Amino acid sequence: MTLIPKPEKPSALSHTFSPAPSKTEEQLAVRPLLYLGAGVAAATVLLLSLLSSPQSPAVLAQIFTTRFLGIFIEALPFLLLGTFTSGLIEAFLRAEDLVRFLPKNRVVATIGGAFLGLVFPVCECGVVPVARRLFTKGLPVSMGIAFLLAAPVMNPIVFASTFIAFGWSGLLVGRFVMTALVAIAVGLVFALSARRADVLLPAAMLDACPVAQKRPTLGQGLAQAATIAASETFEMGRYLVIGCLLAAAMQTFVPQEALIAIGSGTVTSVLALQVLAFVLSVCSTVDAFLALAFVNLFTTGSLVAFLSFGPMVDIKSVAMFLGVFQRRAVAYLILLPFLMNLLGGVLINVLNRGY
Amino acid sequence: MNTPTNWREWIKAGILLGLALYLALLMLGGKLDNYINVRFQWLTIVAILILSGLGLWSAWQLFKADNLARQHDVGDYQHARVSGWSLSLLIVPLAFGVLFPSRPLDVNAVQSVSLAAIGGGRASASIAPQDRNILDWLREINRVDNPASFNGQPVDLIGFIYREPDMPADQFMVARFTVSCCVADAFAIGLPVQLEGAEQYATGAWVRLRGALQVGQFRGQTMPIIRPQQVEEIPQPDSPYLYG
Repeated sequence: MTLIPKPEKPSALSHTFSPAPSKTEEQLAVRPLLYLGAGVAAATVLLLSLLSSPQSPAVLAQIFTTRFLGIFIEALPFLLLGTFTSGLIEAFLRAEDLVRFLPKNRVVATIGGAFLGLVFPVCECGVVPVARRLFTKGLPVSMGIAFLLAAPVMNPIVFASTFIAFGWSGLLVGRFVMTALVAIAVGLVFALSARRADVLLPAAMLDACPVAQKRPTLGQGLAQAATIAASETFEMGRYLVIGCLLAAAMQTFVPQEALIAIGSGTVTSVLALQVLAFVLSVCSTVDAFLALAFVNLFTTGSLVAFLSFGPMVDIKSVAMFLGVFQRRAVAYLILLPFLMNLLGGVLINVLNRGY
Repeated sequence: MNTPTNWREWIKAGILLGLALYLALLMLGGKLDNYINVRFQWLTIVAILILSGLGLWSAWQLFKADNLARQHDVGDYQHARVSGWSLSLLIVPLAFGVLFPSRPLDVNAVQSVSLAAIGGGRASASIAPQDRNILDWLREINRVDNPASFNGQPVDLIGFIYREPDMPADQFMVARFTVSCCVADAFAIGLPVQLEGAEQYATGAWVRLRGALQVGQFRGQTMPIIRPQQVEEIPQPDSPYLYG
């Protein structure tokens, strides 16, 4: 089920395609920055804290290891479930089947898009290719965008991991409500003010394989799903490892007073965690476990914004957006969710304080 | 067959199987509860199953040389071949797990000891006083309005010794970490202890305290304080955390 037309099989259309978003170009531009940034940040924090901490480096290393492995071991099952589901969807679900059942009304379609993830459980890494495939099959822009933003959170695996991390709490409810509201709002903005051609890249509007694909046999499908899941585990796993390293480092090396100083601000706390979510790029199925590290130190609004904004937009998804959307649309896709989540997070904080 | 990709694919299969093996050994060795709430052990079993399945599948694919070409054809652009970066990064948890001995959080990881307990409700009331652990006691103390009602109640509990900088010589706290999900949310809780000759017990040492409660002043509030009649130094328990 490749999204990219294979060169040896020219499509029936008369168009020639520019090659679909080349992973190497887009991601190579982002990758070194990501690793360099993470490395420098970690080294700085490490150095500062070693200088100021009363504990010996060996003791700190032991505590750091325990915390790192703890977050990683708790998160790993959800990462694996996520990548395996993504493999199954890719192998067995045909976009044409889905597009056939779409509502015609734009507003209804947009709201529907926000909840499409419930029957279509993908995390933010899987969602961009799926959305792209749906666009080529004629999915309305607003619905696709609502799906793109909401699906990484609106799915059973994320619900399970958030529930295990926080139980029945305001954070669990807040995460899902905020995600739905922001996704629908951004989808409607696009529905009312943008034309399809202004939003999508030409390659994302054309049906690459106009002939419906054959259904794979069960064996073929499972084989393909396993192969995809194995690769994705590594592709996504590295973000999880970096996220776990940073969260454990923060807990071990940064004094609690410093965190509380940032984390108790009505606005600063939300800003700080949104930027962190963007940089960490951790998969939505596991970010709840990282958020655990901030509980009691950061405001509720900032935690909700972390859990809602992170899955919508982060470094790795922006790299993938560029392969589907026009640059201007990508800018809106980053800015609108950022501002709306910020507003939502601050609002929660203000209400929480009873002003 | 000996392309650069190929050895990467082999390492990839090796890491998947290595992680499965590491988690399995951790679980069989009873060390998993150094990291996560044992209530979620089944999740680790799920992870071990998926990891072994994917690892064995990848290895099997590599054995079948004729499948190689097809395999690289399967993924989309986002499922492209595994890069060196991802390989080096997923080795990190395996390396940490193998190189460092598995130890639970101890007194060195304490930033502050809280008197607030996670969870609550009436459950703690149904436990006999001498069977309550530190978490049960704090829940009970937070639930009951009148601290004086604890006077004379028998105590028999374990914990490690924690001292705040400004504590008098005859005082310490007996503390434990509570974990609700994994060690990311671990925080220390404890009860104050008043004891003549408290100095002889080192900070961080695990002790079993038997005695009774007596209301007194601690951190500016009136609350029950442990007056031990018997202090026994014990080894660190197999399951060092309390679970909420």
